[in-house]
Amino acid sequence: MEINNIEVKDLTKKYNDLVAVDDISFSVRKGDIIAILGPNGAGKTTLIKMLTGLLSPTKGIIFYNNVNFSKSQKKVKKVIGLVPQENNIDRDISVHNNLLIHAILYGINYKERNKAIMEALSFAEIDDYKSKLANELSGGLKRRLVIARAMLHKPKILFLDEPTVNLDPHSRRHIWNFIRKINNESQTTIFITTHYIEEADLLAKNVLIMDRGKIIASGSPEKLKSRLGSFTLEIFKSDSIEYQFFHNREEAIQFGEKLNCSFKIRELSLEDLYIKITGKRIE
Amino acid sequence: MHGIWGIYFRELLIFKSKFFKNLLASVISPLLFLFAFGFGIGKDTQIDGTNYIAFLLPGLLTMTSLNQAYGISSEINISRFYFKIFDEYLIAPIGRWQILLGESLYGVTKGFISAAIIIILAYILDVKFSISFLFVVILLLHLLIFSMLGFSAALIVRNHGDQFAINSFIITPMVFLSGTFYPIDMMPAIIKYVVHIFPLTYTTKLIRDAFLYNRLTSITYLLVSIFILFSLFLFGIFIVRRIE
Repeated sequence: MEINNIEVKDLTKKYNDLVAVDDISFSVRKGDIIAILGPNGAGKTTLIKMLTGLLSPTKGIIFYNNVNFSKSQKKVKKVIGLVPQENNIDRDISVHNNLLIHAILYGINYKERNKAIMEALSFAEIDDYKSKLANELSGGLKRRLVIARAMLHKPKILFLDEPTVNLDPHSRRHIWNFIRKINNESQTTIFITTHYIEEADLLAKNVLIMDRGKIIASGSPEKLKSRLGSFTLEIFKSDSIEYQFFHNREEAIQFGEKLNCSFKIRELSLEDLYIKITGKRIE
Repeated sequence: MHGIWGIYFRELLIFKSKFFKNLLASVISPLLFLFAFGFGIGKDTQIDGTNYIAFLLPGLLTMTSLNQAYGISSEINISRFYFKIFDEYLIAPIGRWQILLGESLYGVTKGFISAAIIIILAYILDVKFSISFLFVVILLLHLLIFSMLGFSAALIVRNHGDQFAINSFIITPMVFLSGTFYPIDMMPAIIKYVVHIFPLTYTTKLIRDAFLYNRLTSITYLLVSIFILFSLFLFGIFIVRRIE
Protein backbone atom coordinates (compact mmCIF):
# COMPACT_ATOMS: atom_id res chain seq x y z
CA MET A 1 0.00 0.00 0.00
CA GLU A 2 1.30 3.40 -0.95
CA ILE A 3 1.74 5.83 1.91
CA ASN A 4 2.06 9.48 1.03
CA ASN A 5 -0.52 11.51 2.88
CA ILE A 6 -1.06 12.32 6.52
CA GLU A 7 -4.14 13.01 8.56
CA VAL A 8 -3.81 14.22 12.11
CA LYS A 9 -6.79 14.31 14.46
CA ASP A 10 -6.96 16.05 17.86
CA LEU A 11 -3.25 15.56 18.50
CA THR A 12 -2.05 16.57 21.97
CA LYS A 13 1.21 16.18 23.84
CA LYS A 14 1.48 17.10 27.50
CA TYR A 15 4.56 17.13 29.72
CA ASN A 16 3.11 17.27 33.23
CA ASP A 17 1.37 20.67 33.27
CA LEU A 18 2.93 21.91 30.04
CA VAL A 19 0.86 21.41 26.89
CA ALA A 20 3.43 21.34 24.06
CA VAL A 21 0.94 20.44 21.32
CA ASP A 22 -2.66 21.32 22.01
CA ASP A 23 -5.43 19.43 20.24
CA ILE A 24 -4.42 20.06 16.64
CA SER A 25 -5.87 18.56 13.46
CA PHE A 26 -4.70 18.91 9.87
CA SER A 27 -4.06 16.90 6.74
CA VAL A 28 -1.26 16.76 4.16
CA ARG A 29 -1.79 15.43 0.63
CA LYS A 30 0.56 13.56 -1.69
CA GLY A 31 3.25 15.77 -3.20
CA ASP A 32 2.51 18.73 -0.91
CA ILE A 33 5.18 20.80 0.73
CA ILE A 34 3.76 21.87 4.05
CA ALA A 35 5.56 24.22 6.41
CA ILE A 36 4.89 24.54 10.11
CA LEU A 37 5.84 28.06 11.02
CA GLY A 38 6.19 29.32 14.54
CA PRO A 39 8.57 30.76 17.12
CA ASN A 40 10.87 28.65 19.28
CA GLY A 41 8.77 26.73 21.79
CA ALA A 42 5.64 26.74 19.59
CA GLY A 43 5.55 22.93 19.59
CA LYS A 44 6.92 22.32 16.08
CA THR A 45 9.62 19.80 17.04
CA THR A 46 7.26 17.99 19.42
CA LEU A 47 4.80 17.67 16.54
CA ILE A 48 7.42 16.28 14.14
CA LYS A 49 8.63 13.84 16.82
CA MET A 50 5.10 12.50 17.22
CA LEU A 51 4.68 12.21 13.44
CA THR A 52 7.88 10.15 13.16
CA GLY A 53 7.35 7.94 16.20
CA LEU A 54 9.97 9.51 18.46
CA LEU A 55 7.25 10.62 20.88
CA SER A 56 3.90 9.10 21.76
CA PRO A 57 0.95 11.48 21.71
CA THR A 58 -0.91 12.05 24.97
CA LYS A 59 -4.11 12.12 22.90
CA GLY A 60 -5.16 11.99 19.27
CA ILE A 61 -4.51 9.85 16.21
CA ILE A 62 -2.11 10.05 13.28
CA PHE A 63 -3.16 8.33 10.07
CA TYR A 64 -0.89 7.67 7.11
CA ASN A 65 -3.25 6.79 4.24
CA ASN A 66 -5.81 5.45 6.71
CA VAL A 67 -3.12 3.41 8.50
CA ASN A 68 -3.16 4.18 12.22
CA PHE A 69 0.48 5.08 12.95
CA SER A 70 0.42 3.92 16.57
CA LYS A 71 -0.63 0.44 15.43
CA SER A 72 1.61 0.04 12.34
CA GLN A 73 4.74 2.01 13.16
CA LYS A 74 7.20 -0.33 11.42
CA LYS A 75 5.23 -0.32 8.16
CA VAL A 76 5.01 3.48 8.09
CA LYS A 77 8.60 4.07 9.22
CA LYS A 78 9.86 2.23 6.12
CA VAL A 79 8.46 4.98 3.91
CA ILE A 80 9.15 8.11 5.95
CA GLY A 81 12.43 9.94 6.35
CA LEU A 82 13.56 12.47 8.93
CA VAL A 83 16.10 15.26 8.78
CA PRO A 84 16.30 16.21 12.46
CA GLN A 85 17.21 19.61 13.82
CA GLU A 86 20.68 18.44 14.91
CA ASN A 87 23.13 16.84 12.48
CA ASN A 88 22.99 13.50 14.28
CA ILE A 89 25.69 11.79 12.27
CA ASP A 90 28.56 9.61 13.46
CA ARG A 91 31.48 12.00 13.31
CA ASP A 92 34.27 9.45 13.74
CA ILE A 93 33.37 7.32 10.72
CA SER A 94 33.27 8.04 7.01
CA VAL A 95 30.40 9.58 5.07
CA HIS A 96 29.97 6.27 3.21
CA ASN A 97 29.76 4.26 6.43
CA ASN A 98 27.20 6.67 7.90
CA LEU A 99 25.00 5.84 4.93
CA LEU A 100 25.83 2.13 5.07
CA ILE A 101 24.56 1.89 8.67
CA HIS A 102 21.31 3.56 7.62
CA ALA A 103 20.97 1.17 4.66
CA ILE A 104 21.34 -1.83 6.98
CA LEU A 105 18.89 -0.41 9.55
CA TYR A 106 16.31 0.08 6.80
CA GLY A 107 16.77 -3.49 5.57
CA ILE A 108 18.09 -2.56 2.12
CA ASN A 109 19.23 -5.74 0.42
CA TYR A 110 22.99 -6.40 0.46
CA LYS A 111 23.21 -6.25 -3.35
CA GLU A 112 21.29 -2.97 -3.59
CA ARG A 113 23.03 -1.16 -0.73
CA ASN A 114 25.93 0.21 -2.69
CA LYS A 115 23.70 1.49 -5.49
CA ALA A 116 21.37 3.18 -2.97
CA ILE A 117 24.35 4.79 -1.20
CA MET A 118 25.85 6.06 -4.46
CA GLU A 119 22.49 7.51 -5.53
CA ALA A 120 22.05 9.28 -2.18
CA LEU A 121 25.61 10.65 -2.33
CA SER A 122 25.06 11.84 -5.87
CA PHE A 123 21.69 13.38 -5.07
CA ALA A 124 23.11 15.41 -2.19
CA GLU A 125 26.19 16.22 -4.31
CA ILE A 126 28.62 14.84 -1.76
CA ASP A 127 30.14 12.03 -3.88
CA ASP A 128 33.58 13.59 -3.55
CA TYR A 129 33.44 13.35 0.24
CA LYS A 130 32.35 9.73 0.60
CA SER A 131 35.65 8.55 2.12
CA LYS A 132 36.08 11.53 4.41
CA LEU A 133 35.30 11.36 8.10
CA ALA A 134 31.95 13.04 8.74
CA ASN A 135 33.67 15.28 11.28
CA GLU A 136 35.79 16.81 8.52
CA LEU A 137 32.75 18.16 6.67
CA SER A 138 31.60 21.78 6.90
CA GLY A 139 28.23 22.58 8.50
CA GLY A 140 26.52 22.75 5.09
CA LEU A 141 28.00 19.44 3.95
CA LYS A 142 27.03 17.75 7.23
CA ARG A 143 23.48 18.93 6.60
CA ARG A 144 23.62 17.48 3.10
CA LEU A 145 24.84 14.17 4.54
CA VAL A 146 21.83 14.10 6.87
CA ILE A 147 19.57 14.78 3.87
CA ALA A 148 21.32 12.06 1.83
CA ARG A 149 20.80 9.64 4.71
CA ALA A 150 17.11 10.53 5.05
CA MET A 151 16.65 10.03 1.27
CA LEU A 152 18.61 6.77 1.05
CA HIS A 153 15.60 4.48 1.49
CA LYS A 154 13.53 6.63 -0.91
CA PRO A 155 10.86 7.82 1.52
CA LYS A 156 7.43 8.85 0.31
CA ILE A 157 7.17 11.46 3.06
CA LEU A 158 10.15 13.48 4.22
CA PHE A 159 10.15 15.42 7.50
CA LEU A 160 12.66 18.22 7.90
CA ASP A 161 12.95 19.87 11.31
CA GLU A 162 14.42 23.35 10.93
CA PRO A 163 16.48 22.22 7.91
CA THR A 164 18.46 25.42 7.44
CA VAL A 165 19.00 26.59 10.99
CA ASN A 166 22.57 27.83 11.63
CA LEU A 167 23.53 27.60 7.94
CA ASP A 168 25.12 30.40 5.94
CA PRO A 169 22.96 31.97 3.17
CA HIS A 170 24.71 30.01 0.41
CA SER A 171 24.17 26.64 2.11
CA ARG A 172 20.63 27.61 2.97
CA ARG A 173 19.79 28.20 -0.70
CA HIS A 174 21.45 24.92 -1.60
CA ILE A 175 19.22 23.08 0.87
CA TRP A 176 16.13 24.86 -0.49
CA ASN A 177 17.05 23.62 -3.97
CA PHE A 178 17.37 20.07 -2.64
CA ILE A 179 13.96 20.27 -1.02
CA ARG A 180 12.40 21.43 -4.31
CA LYS A 181 14.28 18.71 -6.20
CA ILE A 182 13.09 15.98 -3.80
CA ASN A 183 9.53 17.20 -4.17
CA ASN A 184 9.64 17.58 -7.97
CA GLU A 185 11.51 14.43 -8.94
CA SER A 186 9.64 11.85 -6.90
CA GLN A 187 6.46 13.61 -5.77
CA THR A 188 7.72 13.15 -2.21
CA THR A 189 5.46 14.77 0.35
CA ILE A 190 7.55 17.26 2.34
CA PHE A 191 6.85 18.41 5.86
CA ILE A 192 9.08 21.23 7.14
CA THR A 193 9.17 23.01 10.45
CA THR A 194 10.84 26.38 10.40
CA HIS A 195 11.00 29.67 12.16
CA TYR A 196 12.31 31.38 9.02
CA ILE A 197 9.32 33.03 7.42
CA GLU A 198 10.94 33.45 3.99
CA GLU A 199 11.65 29.70 3.98
CA ALA A 200 7.99 28.85 4.50
CA ASP A 201 6.91 31.50 1.99
CA LEU A 202 9.35 30.31 -0.65
CA LEU A 203 8.93 26.55 -0.38
CA ALA A 204 5.53 25.69 0.99
CA LYS A 205 2.30 25.10 -0.84
CA ASN A 206 0.59 25.22 2.53
CA VAL A 207 1.58 26.82 5.79
CA LEU A 208 0.38 26.06 9.31
CA ILE A 209 1.21 28.80 11.79
CA MET A 210 1.69 27.42 15.29
CA ASP A 211 1.90 29.24 18.57
CA ARG A 212 1.84 27.79 22.08
CA GLY A 213 0.97 24.36 20.76
CA LYS A 214 -2.00 25.44 18.67
CA ILE A 215 -2.50 26.02 14.95
CA ILE A 216 -3.60 29.62 14.76
CA ALA A 217 -3.80 29.97 10.96
CA SER A 218 -3.44 27.75 7.90
CA GLY A 219 -3.55 27.93 4.11
CA SER A 220 -1.32 28.68 1.16
CA PRO A 221 1.12 31.59 1.71
CA GLU A 222 -0.86 33.69 -0.78
CA LYS A 223 -4.18 32.90 0.84
CA LEU A 224 -2.82 33.67 4.29
CA LYS A 225 -1.32 36.96 3.17
CA SER A 226 -4.46 37.99 1.31
CA ARG A 227 -6.28 38.03 4.65
CA LEU A 228 -4.51 41.32 5.29
CA GLY A 229 -3.98 42.59 1.76
CA SER A 230 -1.03 42.84 -0.61
CA PHE A 231 1.00 45.80 0.61
CA THR A 232 2.37 46.89 3.94
CA LEU A 233 2.80 50.50 4.89
CA GLU A 234 5.53 50.98 7.50
CA ILE A 235 4.99 54.23 9.36
CA PHE A 236 8.10 55.54 11.12
CA LYS A 237 6.95 57.40 14.22
CA SER A 238 9.40 59.08 16.58
CA ASP A 239 9.51 56.16 19.03
CA SER A 240 8.03 53.25 17.11
CA ILE A 241 7.13 51.72 13.75
CA GLU A 242 3.50 51.10 12.95
CA TYR A 243 2.07 48.93 10.20
CA GLN A 244 -1.01 49.32 7.99
CA PHE A 245 -2.10 46.84 5.34
CA PHE A 246 -3.68 47.57 1.95
CA HIS A 247 -4.99 45.62 -1.01
CA ASN A 248 -3.36 47.95 -3.54
CA ARG A 249 -0.35 50.22 -3.66
CA GLU A 250 -2.35 53.40 -4.52
CA GLU A 251 -4.44 53.14 -1.38
CA ALA A 252 -1.27 52.74 0.66
CA ILE A 253 0.38 55.78 -0.99
CA GLN A 254 -2.70 57.94 -0.44
CA PHE A 255 -2.83 56.92 3.21
CA GLY A 256 0.89 57.57 3.70
CA GLU A 257 0.82 61.00 2.10
CA LYS A 258 -1.77 62.16 4.59
CA LEU A 259 0.64 61.37 7.46
CA ASN A 260 3.07 63.83 9.01
CA CYS A 261 5.91 61.29 9.22
CA SER A 262 8.03 59.21 6.89
CA PHE A 263 6.78 55.90 5.58
CA LYS A 264 7.75 52.97 3.35
CA ILE A 265 5.62 50.70 1.20
CA ARG A 266 6.59 47.09 0.55
CA GLU A 267 4.96 43.80 -0.38
CA LEU A 268 3.09 42.16 2.45
CA SER A 269 4.95 39.25 4.05
CA LEU A 270 3.93 36.25 6.10
CA GLU A 271 5.66 37.89 9.03
CA ASP A 272 3.16 40.76 8.82
CA LEU A 273 0.36 38.24 9.11
CA TYR A 274 2.08 36.47 11.96
CA ILE A 275 2.55 39.69 13.92
CA LYS A 276 -1.00 40.72 13.25
CA ILE A 277 -2.53 37.47 14.49
CA THR A 278 -0.20 36.81 17.41
CA GLY A 279 0.96 40.28 18.33
CA LYS A 280 4.62 39.25 18.40
CA ARG A 281 7.58 38.94 16.04
CA ILE A 282 9.20 35.62 15.15
CA GLU A 283 12.83 35.49 16.26
CA MET B 1 17.31 -9.08 12.31
CA HIS B 2 18.80 -6.29 10.20
CA GLY B 3 18.23 -3.91 13.10
CA ILE B 4 20.52 -5.94 15.39
CA TRP B 5 23.19 -6.13 12.71
CA GLY B 6 22.89 -2.41 11.83
CA ILE B 7 23.37 -1.33 15.42
CA TYR B 8 26.15 -3.85 16.10
CA PHE B 9 27.92 -2.86 12.90
CA ARG B 10 27.68 0.83 13.82
CA GLU B 11 29.16 0.19 17.25
CA LEU B 12 31.98 -1.90 15.78
CA LEU B 13 32.87 0.90 13.36
CA ILE B 14 33.02 3.41 16.23
CA PHE B 15 35.03 0.91 18.32
CA LYS B 16 37.45 0.39 15.42
CA SER B 17 37.94 4.14 15.06
CA LYS B 18 39.17 4.24 18.69
CA PHE B 19 40.63 0.74 18.82
CA PHE B 20 44.00 1.45 20.48
CA LYS B 21 42.47 3.78 23.05
CA ASN B 22 39.90 1.10 23.87
CA LEU B 23 42.55 -1.61 24.01
CA LEU B 24 44.78 0.44 26.27
CA ALA B 25 41.85 1.07 28.64
CA SER B 26 41.34 -2.70 28.83
CA VAL B 27 45.02 -3.31 29.63
CA ILE B 28 45.89 -0.48 32.05
CA SER B 29 43.20 -1.06 34.64
CA PRO B 30 43.85 -4.81 35.25
CA LEU B 31 47.59 -4.22 35.27
CA LEU B 32 47.21 -1.57 37.97
CA PHE B 33 45.08 -3.88 40.09
CA LEU B 34 47.50 -6.72 39.49
CA PHE B 35 50.42 -4.64 40.76
CA ALA B 36 48.50 -3.00 43.63
CA PHE B 37 46.71 -6.11 44.92
CA GLY B 38 48.52 -9.05 43.37
CA PHE B 39 52.15 -8.19 43.87
CA GLY B 40 51.32 -5.94 46.86
CA ILE B 41 49.72 -8.75 48.85
CA GLY B 42 52.30 -11.17 47.59
CA LYS B 43 52.62 -14.24 45.45
CA ASP B 44 53.04 -16.45 48.48
CA THR B 45 49.67 -15.60 50.00
CA GLN B 46 47.24 -18.50 49.75
CA ILE B 47 43.46 -18.15 49.47
CA ASP B 48 41.22 -21.23 49.49
CA GLY B 49 44.34 -23.29 48.82
CA THR B 50 45.17 -21.22 45.73
CA ASN B 51 48.01 -18.80 45.15
CA TYR B 52 46.63 -15.21 45.43
CA ILE B 53 47.66 -14.18 41.89
CA ALA B 54 45.77 -17.19 40.52
CA PHE B 55 42.78 -16.24 42.72
CA LEU B 56 42.97 -12.59 41.62
CA LEU B 57 43.25 -13.09 37.85
CA PRO B 58 39.75 -14.47 37.24
CA GLY B 59 38.49 -11.68 39.54
CA LEU B 60 40.26 -9.16 37.34
CA LEU B 61 38.80 -10.91 34.31
CA THR B 62 35.25 -10.46 35.62
CA MET B 63 35.92 -6.86 36.67
CA THR B 64 37.57 -5.76 33.42
CA SER B 65 35.06 -7.48 31.19
CA LEU B 66 32.23 -6.08 33.34
CA ASN B 67 33.66 -2.58 32.93
CA GLN B 68 33.80 -3.02 29.17
CA ALA B 69 30.35 -4.60 28.84
CA TYR B 70 28.65 -2.22 31.27
CA GLY B 71 30.66 0.62 29.69
CA ILE B 72 28.26 0.64 26.72
CA SER B 73 25.99 2.67 29.03
CA SER B 74 28.29 5.72 28.80
CA GLU B 75 28.52 5.33 25.03
CA ILE B 76 24.73 5.02 24.66
CA ASN B 77 24.38 7.99 26.98
CA ILE B 78 26.62 10.13 24.76
CA SER B 79 24.93 9.00 21.56
CA ARG B 80 21.53 9.62 23.14
CA PHE B 81 22.01 12.99 24.80
CA TYR B 82 24.94 14.53 22.94
CA PHE B 83 25.11 13.26 19.36
CA LYS B 84 21.43 12.21 19.20
CA ILE B 85 22.41 9.14 17.16
CA PHE B 86 20.04 7.06 19.26
CA ASP B 87 17.13 8.79 17.49
CA GLU B 88 18.30 7.13 14.26
CA TYR B 89 17.58 3.76 15.87
CA LEU B 90 14.24 4.90 17.25
CA ILE B 91 12.89 6.10 13.89
CA ALA B 92 14.22 3.10 11.94
CA PRO B 93 11.67 0.41 10.96
CA ILE B 94 13.02 -2.09 13.49
CA GLY B 95 11.66 -3.62 16.67
CA ARG B 96 12.99 -1.84 19.73
CA TRP B 97 14.13 -5.18 21.16
CA GLN B 98 16.63 -5.24 18.30
CA ILE B 99 18.26 -2.11 19.73
CA LEU B 100 18.72 -3.95 23.05
CA LEU B 101 20.24 -7.00 21.36
CA GLY B 102 22.46 -5.01 18.96
CA GLU B 103 23.93 -2.96 21.81
CA SER B 104 24.28 -6.01 24.09
CA LEU B 105 26.14 -7.90 21.39
CA TYR B 106 28.57 -5.01 21.20
CA GLY B 107 29.02 -5.07 25.00
CA VAL B 108 29.72 -8.82 24.79
CA THR B 109 32.32 -8.27 22.06
CA LYS B 110 34.13 -5.61 24.11
CA GLY B 111 33.99 -7.88 27.14
CA PHE B 112 35.49 -10.84 25.25
CA ILE B 113 38.39 -8.67 24.02
CA SER B 114 39.21 -7.53 27.58
CA ALA B 115 38.87 -11.13 28.84
CA ALA B 116 41.35 -12.23 26.16
CA ILE B 117 43.87 -9.71 27.53
CA ILE B 118 43.56 -11.16 31.05
CA ILE B 119 43.96 -14.67 29.64
CA ILE B 120 47.21 -13.55 27.98
CA LEU B 121 48.30 -12.09 31.35
CA ALA B 122 47.46 -15.39 33.06
CA TYR B 123 49.58 -17.21 30.51
CA ILE B 124 52.52 -14.81 31.05
CA LEU B 125 52.23 -15.19 34.85
CA ASP B 126 52.17 -18.96 34.48
CA VAL B 127 48.77 -19.39 36.13
CA LYS B 128 47.10 -22.70 35.39
CA PHE B 129 43.72 -22.11 33.78
CA SER B 130 41.20 -23.73 31.50
CA ILE B 131 39.45 -22.24 28.47
CA SER B 132 36.62 -24.74 28.30
CA PHE B 133 33.18 -24.61 26.73
CA LEU B 134 31.81 -24.14 30.24
CA PHE B 135 34.05 -21.10 30.79
CA VAL B 136 32.99 -19.51 27.46
CA VAL B 137 29.28 -20.04 28.19
CA ILE B 138 29.59 -18.60 31.71
CA LEU B 139 31.61 -15.63 30.44
CA LEU B 140 28.95 -15.02 27.78
CA LEU B 141 26.26 -15.13 30.48
CA HIS B 142 28.26 -12.66 32.61
CA LEU B 143 28.80 -10.27 29.68
CA LEU B 144 25.16 -10.38 28.56
CA ILE B 145 24.03 -9.58 32.11
CA PHE B 146 26.24 -6.51 32.39
CA SER B 147 25.65 -5.30 28.82
CA MET B 148 21.91 -5.41 29.43
CA LEU B 149 22.34 -3.72 32.79
CA GLY B 150 24.40 -1.00 31.08
CA PHE B 151 21.78 -0.62 28.36
CA SER B 152 18.91 -0.21 30.82
CA ALA B 153 20.94 2.18 33.00
CA ALA B 154 21.69 4.37 29.95
CA LEU B 155 18.00 4.60 29.10
CA ILE B 156 16.77 5.21 32.64
CA VAL B 157 19.05 8.17 33.36
CA ARG B 158 18.06 11.67 32.35
CA ASN B 159 21.55 13.13 31.97
CA HIS B 160 25.29 12.41 32.28
CA GLY B 161 25.20 13.24 36.01
CA ASP B 162 22.70 10.46 36.73
CA GLN B 163 24.94 8.04 34.84
CA PHE B 164 27.91 9.05 36.98
CA ALA B 165 25.82 8.54 40.15
CA ILE B 166 24.90 4.97 39.13
CA ASN B 167 28.56 4.20 38.48
CA SER B 168 29.64 5.63 41.85
CA PHE B 169 26.89 4.25 44.05
CA ILE B 170 26.17 0.88 42.46
CA ILE B 171 28.87 -0.33 40.07
CA THR B 172 31.97 0.58 42.11
CA PRO B 173 30.74 -0.98 45.39
CA MET B 174 29.62 -4.05 43.45
CA VAL B 175 33.05 -4.45 41.84
CA PHE B 176 34.83 -4.30 45.21
CA LEU B 177 32.42 -6.38 47.27
CA SER B 178 31.51 -9.28 44.98
CA GLY B 179 34.48 -11.54 45.63
CA THR B 180 36.57 -10.02 42.87
CA PHE B 181 39.69 -9.28 44.93
CA TYR B 182 39.15 -11.46 47.99
CA PRO B 183 36.67 -14.17 49.03
CA ILE B 184 33.26 -13.14 50.30
CA ASP B 185 33.81 -15.46 53.29
CA MET B 186 36.45 -13.04 54.61
CA MET B 187 33.93 -10.18 54.81
CA PRO B 188 31.90 -9.18 57.90
CA ALA B 189 28.81 -11.38 58.38
CA ILE B 190 26.27 -8.75 57.36
CA ILE B 191 28.16 -7.87 54.14
CA LYS B 192 28.31 -11.58 53.23
CA TYR B 193 24.53 -11.60 52.90
CA VAL B 194 24.15 -8.13 51.40
CA VAL B 195 26.53 -8.85 48.49
CA HIS B 196 24.13 -11.48 47.22
CA ILE B 197 22.00 -8.70 45.77
CA PHE B 198 24.82 -8.08 43.26
CA PRO B 199 24.77 -10.21 40.09
CA LEU B 200 28.57 -9.98 40.03
CA THR B 201 28.79 -12.14 43.18
CA TYR B 202 27.31 -15.05 41.25
CA THR B 203 29.19 -14.62 37.99
CA THR B 204 32.55 -14.06 39.71
CA LYS B 205 32.25 -17.36 41.54
CA LEU B 206 31.13 -19.19 38.39
CA ILE B 207 33.89 -17.68 36.24
CA ARG B 208 36.62 -18.32 38.83
CA ASP B 209 35.68 -21.97 39.22
CA ALA B 210 35.39 -22.52 35.46
CA PHE B 211 38.62 -20.64 34.71
CA LEU B 212 40.83 -22.21 37.38
CA TYR B 213 39.32 -25.65 37.82
CA ASN B 214 37.02 -26.16 34.80
CA ARG B 215 34.12 -27.00 37.08
CA LEU B 216 30.62 -25.81 37.80
CA THR B 217 30.56 -25.68 41.59
CA SER B 218 27.12 -24.18 42.04
CA ILE B 219 24.05 -24.96 39.94
CA THR B 220 22.15 -22.51 42.16
CA TYR B 221 24.53 -19.68 41.19
CA LEU B 222 24.11 -20.61 37.52
CA LEU B 223 20.31 -20.63 37.78
CA VAL B 224 20.30 -17.33 39.65
CA SER B 225 22.52 -15.81 36.93
CA ILE B 226 20.22 -17.08 34.17
CA PHE B 227 17.23 -15.68 36.07
CA ILE B 228 18.99 -12.29 36.38
CA LEU B 229 19.76 -12.28 32.65
CA PHE B 230 16.18 -13.14 31.76
CA SER B 231 14.87 -10.40 34.08
CA LEU B 232 17.28 -7.80 32.65
CA PHE B 233 16.29 -8.78 29.11
CA LEU B 234 12.60 -8.23 29.89
CA PHE B 235 13.37 -5.03 31.78
CA GLY B 236 15.53 -3.77 28.88
CA ILE B 237 12.69 -4.37 26.42
CA PHE B 238 10.24 -2.63 28.75
CA ILE B 239 12.53 0.40 29.11
CA VAL B 240 13.40 0.75 25.41
CA ARG B 241 9.73 0.51 24.44
CA ARG B 242 8.76 3.42 26.64
CA ILE B 243 11.77 5.58 25.82
CA GLU B 244 10.95 8.91 24.17
